[in-house]
This record gives sequence, structure tokens and C-alpha cells, in this order.
Amino acid sequence: MVDVGTTLEMVQASQAGMSAVGAGLAVGLTGVGTGLAEMGIGAAAVGATAENRDMFGLALLFTVIPETIVIFGLVVALLLLF
Amino acid sequence: MLRPERMRRLLIAAPKSEIDTIIRELYRHNVYHIEDFVPESTSGDGLSIGHPLSGASDAASALIKIRAIENACGIDPENVEVRTRLPASKVRAMIRTDLPSIVEEVEGLVASRSRLETRQKEHEQRAKEFEPFAAAPLDLELYRGYTRFTVFTGHIAHDVTIDVPHEKYFSDRVDGNMIVAVVPNEHREQVERMLLDAGFQAIPVPEETGAPADRLKAHNDEIQKINGELATINGKIASICARHTDFLVACDELLTADVERAEAPLRFATTEETFITEGWVPGDRADRIQEALKRATNDRIYIEELEVDDDTSVPVEYQNPSFATPSQLLMDLYGRPRYSELDPTLLLAIVFPIFFGMILGDVGYGAVLLALSLGLRKVLKSEGGRALLKVLSISSISSIIFGVLYSEAFGFALPWEPLFFSRHLNIGGAATGHGPQVVELMIIAIWIGILHITLGRLIGTRNARSLYHGKHATKAMISNLGWLGFMWGLLLLIWAFFPIPMMPDLTGLPVVAMGFNLAAVTGVVLLVAGIIGIAQENPLEVVELPTIISHVLSYARLTAVGLSSVAIAMVVNYISIGMMIEPQLEAITPVGVILIIVGILVFLLGHVLNTALGLLGGGLHSIRLHYVEFFTKFYKGGGKKYNPFGMKLKFTEE
Repeated sequence: MVDVGTTLEMVQASQAGMSAVGAGLAVGLTGVGTGLAEMGIGAAAVGATAENRDMFGLALLFTVIPETIVIFGLVVALLLLF
Repeated sequence: MLRPERMRRLLIAAPKSEIDTIIRELYRHNVYHIEDFVPESTSGDGLSIGHPLSGASDAASALIKIRAIENACGIDPENVEVRTRLPASKVRAMIRTDLPSIVEEVEGLVASRSRLETRQKEHEQRAKEFEPFAAAPLDLELYRGYTRFTVFTGHIAHDVTIDVPHEKYFSDRVDGNMIVAVVPNEHREQVERMLLDAGFQAIPVPEETGAPADRLKAHNDEIQKINGELATINGKIASICARHTDFLVACDELLTADVERAEAPLRFATTEETFITEGWVPGDRADRIQEALKRATNDRIYIEELEVDDDTSVPVEYQNPSFATPSQLLMDLYGRPRYSELDPTLLLAIVFPIFFGMILGDVGYGAVLLALSLGLRKVLKSEGGRALLKVLSISSISSIIFGVLYSEAFGFALPWEPLFFSRHLNIGGAATGHGPQVVELMIIAIWIGILHITLGRLIGTRNARSLYHGKHATKAMISNLGWLGFMWGLLLLIWAFFPIPMMPDLTGLPVVAMGFNLAAVTGVVLLVAGIIGIAQENPLEVVELPTIISHVLSYARLTAVGLSSVAIAMVVNYISIGMMIEPQLEAITPVGVILIIVGILVFLLGHVLNTALGLLGGGLHSIRLHYVEFFTKFYKGGGKKYNPFGMKLKFTEE
């Protein structure tokens, strides 16, 4: 990979770029994961709430449980960037 | 505060002759929560459900009529502003004298409105049928009455050439094109096949005479005329409604009260001569209502105070300082507290705005939301809406305060350095400063998480004592302490090996054994004790141990969601001002002016979007941290709502 003409600055710059790509992947992929997980839960939660208004609190709770995944991704991304 | 209002359970028994007086008195005081009587089929104690008082059905049918008018007028008593309070006696007199004529008038108008609407629909239908025929220059008589010819009329995908003797009109000016073809009978099948190949869809010829265009116009004129009549009728209905709104809502209220009173015996247990009812009264008002009942019935009543044995059957009424009452809405959304558990409304009322402010700490957005919440008070008049707006105004004030601390307004820096930690990202060409202090902010968020969860577990320990009895209570308490031990043990262990900024650095403590220093050993002991504490209540709960980490880390969203909102704001500013407006201002050209206008639009649109996102993000994430991370540590919920028998009169007075 490293050509003869590569300077130290270029290596550092490409490392910074790679970590930015990593941060993007971390948020993006965890976002997809959360979305997939919330898809089924959300549909069921809306159904349950339509049947019984009192379910709302519990339904919201169930729906947002997978959100933790994307928060982890965001934490990793922020740690990578800063 | 922190506990629901104390309730006392009353049993009232009296002769049936007093039932009217007692119901009236209970209703007036509006404090007695009736426990519905459920007859047991097996017990032979002779108790049965009571019968409604006389006048119940009259009041109910009058109420239905009033509700129908309110419905036709679009009046919702919840949202009607109280202008005057009519005396009940006057309303009753008016129900006898004025109401029948109003009902008749409105019913007549509504009936003629629906008649007109039906006619309008019919004409619309006919007009639609004529539309395609108006494209062909033929009178309607010419389509009918042939013995030797067949007439095809219908939609078709494209024009076709017919290679038999025929007459044909084609038009592509109507939807789906229109074709009229007249062919001799002997060629019918051949032509039909040809047409079907071109996507022919037959439409019947309307049963009328004359030129289709004229008929179409006639129907459209009729529709116009009916529209005018409908507008007149709607205007009449609206004017009647406007004139009688006060009276209608007063009637609604009065009759609702009548019906509720008349149907109260359906919730009582009765014998031949007496009736019995059980119910709940807030502790401090129990004596007053007992005295009032005795006075009203000349002591022909028996009242006994029963013991409170089962906490699930007690109705729950909040008892909070006034600034926390709007947050009760957020509690009810999750579930009302049980009678014997701690009511966290006050904690929610304090912490929720702080979280909201931490996420959306921006003077500009805070001010916009504050203005919005104050402005919407004129529109949203229902109780829930009002409460929500109050929560929003408190939260937006907190957002402004945090905005001052963060030195932010619409993503721009304010003229001072951030007093708290900086969230200014390096976006755009003019970016200066050392960038956001993400790590510090994140650790602050984690600290908040640790403390919030610790508080939750401590409350859980306390709740365990009042929710459970005997051995189970002790076990639940130890389990809660076990969770605390596990969390803090883990923290000690981490601190003993890794120095983390803004957290205690315990790496330098003297080593005790196997490379473990004092903190690490204490951590391990706490950790193991914690696991044992959790497992002794329910071994399955050990599977849940990793949630400690995910729940604490979940508080990182306080920083993360906020930073994303800052990033959007700064990007919007950079695109609109840095890239579009500023370069054009240097030398103004006609194209530049357009670009500047577009830039302003981008700026406005971007910030409107970000305000909405900030409201959603700030609100949902703050409430979620409470519901998922905080409440799961101690909160059961599911208390019955305290619903006193009676009504707060809004539009009438006794």
C-alpha cells in the first residue's frame, strides 16, 4: 500500500479519513440494526395501543429498547472522531 | 409529595327513602369514589344491584339530543371557553321552554342538509356519466332505437381503424379517450373483437335526451345551485350554534350530572328497604363528608370506616406541588403509581426539563418553543393539552438556560465563551476554537446516568418494603441493593485499572493481592455480593446483568442527541450563510439576489426542521430515559385512577 512517495502527513490524513469512515459505519450500521429491531416491535406496539390506550407507556418502552444499539454506535463514532 | 394522597374507605348504609338525598349530597361534594358493587351469584345474602332513579331515561334521551346538536355544530364542551355561568334553575326552565324548538330547528336543518347532499351526489354521478359523451357531437337519442345497427360506446386505449362499413367518432380530450362506433349488426362480433384488442371498455348510454354537453351543463348548474343552498343551511346552523353555544354546553353539563346521579344506584347494593355503598374518600375530607351526610339525612344513615387491606383496589390521586402537576400527564401515560409505592412525579418534573435542556441547549430554539407553547395555549384548551404545553414551556426555559451555558443560539456562538462545556463543532470555513468537548460532555452524561440509576435503585429498595410483605419484601430489598453493589463494584473495578478524566482515579492505590489494588478488591467483593444478592431473589435475573452497562451508557444520548442537533444547525447556517448569502453580498448581481433569497429560505426551512427534530429528540429521549432506564428500577404502576362521584361545574351553578 505505502508507495515510495507517501509522506508522513499523507499517512496521518488517510488514517483520519479511515476513522471518519469507521465512525460513519458505526452510526449507519447500528442505525440499520435498530431500525430492523424496532420494525416488528413498533408494529406490534401500535396494534396493542390501538386495542388498549393504557398500553401506551409500556408499548413505547418496548419500542425504544433497541435504540440502545444505535446509541452505542453513536458513542463509538464520537469517540473515534474526537 | 412523593406519595399519592391518603385514602379512607367508607361504607355507607341507609334506608332507600334517603337514597336521593345521599346521592345528591355525595355528588355535590365531588370527593367520593364509588366502588362498584358486583353481585355474587352464589352468596345468598339478598343483595342486588339497585334501580336507576326516576327521570333517568328522560334525562338520557334529552342528553342524546343535545349531544347530537353539539355534534352537528362541532361543539366540544372540553374546548369551549367559559363566558358566563348560567344558574341551574334557569337552564332547567330553558330545557322545557327553549330546547324543543332549538332541537326541532337544528334537526330540520340537518335533515334538509343531508337531503341536499344526497341530491348533490346524484347530480355529480350523472355529470360524471355525461362527461365522455359530451366529447362526441351526437344527441343522446341518436344512440338508441336501431334494429339493424349496433352502437359501441366506451373508453379505449387508442384510436382504431375499422375495416367494415361504419360510422365512428373518436376523442382523446376526455380521460381514457372516448369512442363511438355504429356498425351493421352482421359485423358486430368482428368489430367488438377489434375494439377489445385495443382495450375497449363499454360505458352505458345515459337514459336522457338532448345534447350531452347541455345535459352536463344542466347537471353542473344544479350542483352549483345545491352548493349555494348548502352554504345557506350551514350558515344557518352555524348561527344557531353560535347563538346557543353557552346554553347547549350548560344543558350538556346539567343533564350529564342528572344522568350520572340517576344511574348511581346501579353501582350500589340494595336490599328490600335499604342500600349499601362502599367507596373511597381522601383522608382529610372524610370527616367533612360524613358530617354533611348525617346532617342531610337527619342521622338516618350508617357510616363505617373500613380498613384498607389491598393496595391494588385503592384509587390513586396525585398529591404534588403545583409546578409538578403538568408532569402527571407523563406519569399517566406510563401508568399511575400504585397506592403504596412512591410517586416519582416530582422527580420527573424536576429532571425531565434538565434532560431536555441538556439535549436542546440553545437560546434560539428554546425561545421559539417557549413562544410556541405560549401561543398554542389559545388553541389547545383541553386539560391534557394544557398540561403538555406547561411541560413544554418549563422545558424550553431550561433549554434557554442551557443555551446560555453552552453559548448557543440557532447554532451560532453567543458573544461569550461557553460557561459549561463547549458543543461548538468545527463546521464551515470560519470554524475556530478547540471544537466540542465531547469526551467531557459524555462523561458528565454517564455520571448523570450513574446517579439517576442509583437513585432509582434506592427508591426501589424503599418501594420493596411497602409493596411486598414478609420474606418477599426482604428479598426484594436485598436484590435492589445487589444491583447497586454490582454497578458500583464494576465502577470501582474500572477505576482501579483505567484512569478516566473527571472520574476518581484509583489506579494509584496500594496493591493488595494478585495485582489487584484496594479499590479493585473492594469492587470484586461488591460485584460478587451483588450477584448473590440478585440471584437470591430470582436466579434468572442474573441474565439481566449486562443491562447495567447498556442502561448507564444509554445516558450518553444526553450528549449525542444534543450534538447531532447542534451539527444540523451549524450545517444549515454554513450552507445558507457561508455558501449562499455571504459570497453574493460582496458583489450584488441579479442572480446573486435570487441566490440570497434561496439562502434565506434554506436557513428558515432548515431551522424549522431542526426545531421540530429538537422538540421530538429532546422530549422523546428525555422521557424515554425516565421510562426505560429510571422507572424500570423501582416503578410498578397500574394504580386505579381516583374518579370521584360528582362534577366540577364549569358552565352552570347551583
